[in-house]
Amino acid sequence: MSGIALPIGLVDGRKRRRRWPLLVLAAMAWLGLMLGIAVLADAVAPYAYTALDLRNRLAAPGATWLHPLGTDELGRDVLSRLIFSIRMSLLIAFGATIIGALIGTALGVLAAHFRGFVEQVVMALVDFSASLPFLILALAVLAFFGNSLTLFICLLGLHAWERYARIARGLVISAGAQGYAAAVRQLGASPWRIYGRHVLPNIASTLIVSMTLAFPEIILLESGLSFLGLGVQPPETSLGAMVGYGREYLTRAPWILLSPAVVIVLTTFSVSVLGDWLRDRLDPTLH
Amino acid sequence: MLRFLGFRLLRAAITIVMVVSFAFVVLRLSGDPAQIIMGADAPPEAIAAFRRAWGLEEPLWLQYLRYFGAIFSGDLGRSMRDGREAIALVAERIPATLALTIPALLIKLGIGIPAGITAALHRNSLVDRAVMVLAVAGFTVPSFVLGLLLVLVFAVQLGWLPSGGQESWRHAILPIVTMGVGGAAVLARFTRSAMLEVLGQPYIRTASAKGVPWRAVVWGHALPNAAIPTVTIIGFMVGSLIAGAVVVESVFSWPGVGRLLVVAVANRDLAVVQCILLLVAATMVAANLVVDLLYGALDPRLRQRAG
Amino acid sequence: MRKAPLLEAMGLTRRYAMRRGFLGRPVEVRAVDGVSLTLERGRTLGLVGESGCGKSTTGRLVLGLEMPDAGSVAFEGQPMPAPGTPPWRAMRARMQMVFQDPLGALDRRMAIGAQIAEPLEIHGIGARRAERMERVAALLRDVGLRPDQAVRYPHELSGGQRQRAVLARALATDPALLVCDEPISALDVSIQAQVMNLLVELQSRLGTAILFVSHDLRAVRQVSHRVAVMYLGRIVEEGEPDAVLHDPAHPYAQALVSAIPHPGRGQRRILLQGDPPNPADRPSGCAFHPRCPVAVAICAKEDPMLKPRPGDGRRVACHVAQGEVPAPSVGRSAAGLNRPAQISKAA
Repeated sequence: MSGIALPIGLVDGRKRRRRWPLLVLAAMAWLGLMLGIAVLADAVAPYAYTALDLRNRLAAPGATWLHPLGTDELGRDVLSRLIFSIRMSLLIAFGATIIGALIGTALGVLAAHFRGFVEQVVMALVDFSASLPFLILALAVLAFFGNSLTLFICLLGLHAWERYARIARGLVISAGAQGYAAAVRQLGASPWRIYGRHVLPNIASTLIVSMTLAFPEIILLESGLSFLGLGVQPPETSLGAMVGYGREYLTRAPWILLSPAVVIVLTTFSVSVLGDWLRDRLDPTLH
Repeated sequence: MLRFLGFRLLRAAITIVMVVSFAFVVLRLSGDPAQIIMGADAPPEAIAAFRRAWGLEEPLWLQYLRYFGAIFSGDLGRSMRDGREAIALVAERIPATLALTIPALLIKLGIGIPAGITAALHRNSLVDRAVMVLAVAGFTVPSFVLGLLLVLVFAVQLGWLPSGGQESWRHAILPIVTMGVGGAAVLARFTRSAMLEVLGQPYIRTASAKGVPWRAVVWGHALPNAAIPTVTIIGFMVGSLIAGAVVVESVFSWPGVGRLLVVAVANRDLAVVQCILLLVAATMVAANLVVDLLYGALDPRLRQRAG
Repeated sequence: MRKAPLLEAMGLTRRYAMRRGFLGRPVEVRAVDGVSLTLERGRTLGLVGESGCGKSTTGRLVLGLEMPDAGSVAFEGQPMPAPGTPPWRAMRARMQMVFQDPLGALDRRMAIGAQIAEPLEIHGIGARRAERMERVAALLRDVGLRPDQAVRYPHELSGGQRQRAVLARALATDPALLVCDEPISALDVSIQAQVMNLLVELQSRLGTAILFVSHDLRAVRQVSHRVAVMYLGRIVEEGEPDAVLHDPAHPYAQALVSAIPHPGRGQRRILLQGDPPNPADRPSGCAFHPRCPVAVAICAKEDPMLKPRPGDGRRVACHVAQGEVPAPSVGRSAAGLNRPAQISKAA
């Protein structure tokens, strides 16, 4: 929709887009910082995230130079816990986003390739997925299957699969109708070559944009579930879990939950900004 | 039209069957409910008696068929905790949840849609920028963070409103605002992009070039067409009236369906969880059905394609 | 070598289900309805007709891209394997297609050199990469492109250059059969002649047989050794291009030929009456009779066979042209027809 002049002073989008990069740069910088922290957590954290300092319990930020972001009810260093929480939350979000993209894309491509019965089954699953709020499904599955980290990541990976499936199916079908796929097929290429070398690279940008849209949702889901006590279990910690446990001390020690809350908001905001920007740049057809 | 309706009803029925099957498979295969309810060190006779009483000894497919049969005769099972009808247990929580979600939905619609339309019509203006920043912020702040912040400010610091519970209407204000603000942001963002999409279409430019007054173009052409994608997301919001408050109810200790679900899940109370799942799915499917029919009314082409 | 012709298609039929209207029942549409054709090595068969007459579907059936609902295709004496199977894929090296829209037929994310090398990789031609690159360079020269253009992307080339690249890719495996589906209709008129000449030149050099599908009679005449005219999924006339395109026997072919403008020459132009053909609602008898200027009563009842005409041996499916019934005098309404046919004079 860029570049279409509209009446009543609806200016085209380019002017505005030039302003984005500043914000985009800030978002990238923040995400870079988060990634760096996640990778180097062991090196940058001043303490282990389970280390107790019983003499400095519920210390306010700045109250003692030992704990710049304060401590919690057991005297654990909030900064250290925050750093390890960032690592955990990003690990889960990355893992789940990639799982969702892989499963969804694979099923979408299968549906488009085989059509007929396979497609009906996939689309019925998509309908089913879309018909229930994911949180409800996740709650049921999690509480009944217990709570290993692997299961948790896989479960969150199911979050947006139906979106990728829908997009991939539509794009593959239209690619097949478009000629280049048909042309390669009639060269004698195997399905692997057609999809791997031609179709997927052509639809990748749209799928990547979808991933940037799903990523913040997964962070929010993870933190929501951990907040309810049904996600990451102690002694492990994540951003949502920190907020959940910090809630008990909302009146006495709000800093316990404020710092992870700020990190959640800034991170999801940054990914959203980046995703919008990518979408405008890579894929004007997706909205 | 009949074919269209039939097709949609069939899809809705399939979805419901899948939800029931999903619930059954996940809940029954994940662990032994008898062990969980009675405790690991309960005497074996007690466990056996429990299993007999709940039909847990029969083969799974029989339990499955029984479950379907029970549902179609209106019996959704009893809570394994206190033996009460699961449906009654859930039903008595519904008013409390709706007391939050319906006002919140009105806030979402009342703020989100006008904000989105205004932003789209005055693209790149200060209003548009402000709406977009707020919308992105509303989307990126999780409801539990927003809720806790509101508690911190209005209950803890200012002491104007209670922080939790359900004693009076004042208790409902913070949860409603928490839910309404986030949803309004999502809706505003969605409406804006749907509007922009439509405004870029050739027929809008044609109408405007023909000399149709801009106001008439917006009301007569742009809004009905932009409504089509927006209706989907509203349908989803209506569909989650019952289950959309899980987190917020937990934050504010509001005794609604969401709280019940979290507690039931923690206790592995199968009947209650299944009942809520089914209820949520039914609401969702019904809302989707209405959305599909609305689509038909808004866009005659879709009727044809589906038939 | 072998007795069998390169390509022999017998009674090809392809049906599609089509739903009409909102509550309509599915209607069976015969896109191709009993088409038989033969193509010898190194020769060109032109297939002409209006859009929707089934000529492109015929091309796809002949290549085995679609399975016919009835009839068979034999290539080099062998039956066509089912699409997608390994023998079918292996057979692609022997038969190739050139598309109407060269931009659509090329992957826009890949340099054309890599795309031309693809059939070589797929069919294991050329053991080493360098060998394949050499072959790509030779192919580019063959189709009139420069080897250094191998690194270009499709959008960096002109329409004519893209079609040359598509042609190079199609010729990479040295196929015995090339199906060209409207290969020039997406090109500028000035480029069309170049591509046509290239096709003719490559054919004489490489001995490739070509099925040339087009609605452009002049292009067909320029390249074809034989011509078949299709109407509503059937061949109605087939013969030497000079005979068919200068002195058509079938009334439909006559109308098509008369529609070619000849500058400076006043000519009788036959304007076809009635609705354009709708394959879902095929008229009884000869499908062309509602629009035919010379139709008589039998044409609405009896389906004419495609058979050699008694005089010149040309194959025609028309009662009148076969001389089975006397032709009605021109300009008069034929008895028993709903729509009177007219022949008008056009300058």
